[in-house]
Amino acid sequence: MPTKIEKDVISGRETTGQVWDGLRELNTPIPRWWLYTFIATCVWSVGYVVVYPSVPGLFGYYHGAIGYSTRVEVNSQVASIAAIRARSMDRIEATPFAQIASDPKLMAVAMAAGKITFANNCQPCHGAGGGGRPGFPTLASDSWIWGGKLEDIQTSVQHGIRNEDPDARMSQMPRFGVDGLLKPVEIAAVADYVLALRGANKDGTDVTAGGKLYAENCVACHGEKGEGKREVGAPNLRSAVNLYGTSKDAIIAQISAPRQGVMPGWNARLDAATIKSVAIYVHSLGGGE
Amino acid sequence: MEDDISGVLVGALVAVLGMVGLFMASGAYDNAIFIFGLSLAAFAVLFDIGLIRRHFDRRSGGRHV
Amino acid sequence: MSDAAAISETLRAPLTYNEDVVRKFVVAGMFWALVAFLVGVYIAAELAWPEANLGLSYVNFGRLRPVHTSAAIFAFGGSVLIGTSFYVVQRTCRARLFGGEALADFVFWGYQFFIVMVALSYLMGYTQGLEYAEPEWHLDLWLTLIWVIYAVIFIGTLLKREEPHIYVANWFYLAFILTVAVLHLVNNAAVPISMYSAKSYAAYGGVQSALIQWWYGHNAVGFLLTAGFLGMMYYFIPKQADRPIYSYRLSVVHFWSFVFMYIWAGPHHLHYTSLPDWTQTLGMVFSLMLWMPSWGGMINGLMTLSGAWDKLRTDPALRFSVTAVGFYGMATFEGPVLSIRDVNALAHYTDWIVGHVHSGTLGWNAFMSFGAIYYLVPVLWKRSGLYSARLVAWHYWISTLGIVLYISSLWVAGIMQGLMWRAYDAFGFLQYSFVESVSAVHPYYVIRWLGGMMFFVGALIMVYNLVMTVRSPSTRRAVTGYPVGAIAAGE
Repeated sequence: MPTKIEKDVISGRETTGQVWDGLRELNTPIPRWWLYTFIATCVWSVGYVVVYPSVPGLFGYYHGAIGYSTRVEVNSQVASIAAIRARSMDRIEATPFAQIASDPKLMAVAMAAGKITFANNCQPCHGAGGGGRPGFPTLASDSWIWGGKLEDIQTSVQHGIRNEDPDARMSQMPRFGVDGLLKPVEIAAVADYVLALRGANKDGTDVTAGGKLYAENCVACHGEKGEGKREVGAPNLRSAVNLYGTSKDAIIAQISAPRQGVMPGWNARLDAATIKSVAIYVHSLGGGE
Repeated sequence: MEDDISGVLVGALVAVLGMVGLFMASGAYDNAIFIFGLSLAAFAVLFDIGLIRRHFDRRSGGRHV
Repeated sequence: MSDAAAISETLRAPLTYNEDVVRKFVVAGMFWALVAFLVGVYIAAELAWPEANLGLSYVNFGRLRPVHTSAAIFAFGGSVLIGTSFYVVQRTCRARLFGGEALADFVFWGYQFFIVMVALSYLMGYTQGLEYAEPEWHLDLWLTLIWVIYAVIFIGTLLKREEPHIYVANWFYLAFILTVAVLHLVNNAAVPISMYSAKSYAAYGGVQSALIQWWYGHNAVGFLLTAGFLGMMYYFIPKQADRPIYSYRLSVVHFWSFVFMYIWAGPHHLHYTSLPDWTQTLGMVFSLMLWMPSWGGMINGLMTLSGAWDKLRTDPALRFSVTAVGFYGMATFEGPVLSIRDVNALAHYTDWIVGHVHSGTLGWNAFMSFGAIYYLVPVLWKRSGLYSARLVAWHYWISTLGIVLYISSLWVAGIMQGLMWRAYDAFGFLQYSFVESVSAVHPYYVIRWLGGMMFFVGALIMVYNLVMTVRSPSTRRAVTGYPVGAIAAGE
């Protein structure tokens, strides 16, 4: 294909002379502003490279004229926030619960710290405001499994429940069905009795058999009237707030093969003052004792 | 001419790949490889049938290309 | 063979291009566009209303998200790129595709097979855990084979060209083909536990893996979604505008500066991570220097229209191509800005990034594809024109409005997230919990879903218009003006 330079009438520029499938190119010079802006970004970049850590070598790298480091930056930011927190959190750590409650200023800090810590760490399981979900206890009621005093809550948060922490709260309900401790009919009878304890025996089923089995197997932990026992983390069976459901099927399932909920201990992740604040916040949700 | 040579070479390559697919499917530990291997074999068969069809179409006048 | 047939054969021979494979890629591209948009709309709904996952593992966000991205980038974008590259390289080289019909067909069907297998593997829960490189080793190998053959066809056609020079669009296509090959091979290096298992272990770990992943990820954007699409732009805009390219010199300089700068910019995805500071700095400055090389393509695209702006009124398909260049300019300015450390500190991990990506993919890639396909379909199916210019206009406005809703809602959502995450109260505690930032963006997620929905509806209108273009008698071209041989051969 012979090349033939043509003149474009509209722009007044010449083409490069080549034609591909009817397409031509003008020989317009590069726009000045484009070139200057390009050079400017390059010059600026060279300057940035001189100032900041940039060029690698065989042993290490060039650290930059001002010795900037993201690690130093983040450490100093964390430190400055920690310093602000320390002003009040040191006092919270050193002050007993009762005294914190009587100091409105300190209380405000504890509530702020507890609220945000709860929202970012506890809320995924326990729900906003401690509303709870099936399998995850409600914290906004007085139906406590392990106790609702400030100290009780603090211990639960610190060490958690049924985990590797040696001080974790521990208890294990026997697997009555799976391990053959009770026959299926017996479990159903116990379930009927538990329903009766809850006042849910509307159709007047005879629960004497179930009551007998309950007295033999369940009373030790759950109590005479199903009121529960906090020392062993045995829930109140009559409470309106219930962990695993209140239908007969749900109760049978829990007696046969109990679910043993686990909660992590937060000692390793949160400092003492923050845990204390969480306890104060949870205590305030509605069920604190 | 170019199309004929291309058809033979590509057809052979795809046939070999289809065999590889069958081997992979035959020894598969998981569903992903099992499905992939069988699909590859099916792909090879269909593709090569398509090549053959096109070849004869072209011979018989090229009106169906 | 009669004399007449022999003469028509010789007349026809040098100019019969393989358009069959291009037609297939255009159809596949439109099909995958619908799939990609639909899945995108669905997972946008899952973000706004989590119950939409129906509790099914197969359609949860984690599995559908790579289906969406792969369908959009590799299935839709890839099909359009390979198809248009086959079209452009033949025309601008005056040469039929190298390797014959069967080889080109193998690239088409092999590539479609790859896409289907990849989507299935995602739904079954298989992934390498590398963004945009999720497919496991056996699919990576398959794509490698397809890609090598694709490169052979493209380069072979370039080599047997009749034109003395290689047209600028082909430089970009070639950069795209070669770089994607290198990226794919390096980032997917892995050792399968067995030839019979889809599980493999990556060749790199820790921060090396992260660096290579973002070198890959960023240049997939750079060379597939940018260089390849610039190749499309350099052919279809001057064609549609019927004007010469604005500046040959600019195209040379911006091509080389573009390919040189882009490949280093990946580390800006890893600001404030365990990646060494010096690497972050270099990634950032290369991203900044990339601004003008990227804009060179925009200038050449827009300035090519000088003297032909009136065509925007008469040719709605050209509107897509030109608006695409506009979005391209915006996204390639936003990109360098986002790569600056301090801006990144605010924007990273927020929905601003998602919005930025979509201003590029919807505004630039999809619009450029639409412009090219609206041009190609009448040409490839030998029609006198599109079925309805009004439907193109409808498509244009619905999609543009959809993009505007999409981008602006995620700007607001992203900046809000960034600000909420870094806000401290007077006591030194976080002002907002993460959950609060999630519920705060909910309305914007709904708007984003709506924007995506509009984009999808626009694409449905397009498909209808294209089907009617091919089917309707109203677009049938008069047979008379055609070379005899071409009709005899059924071309």
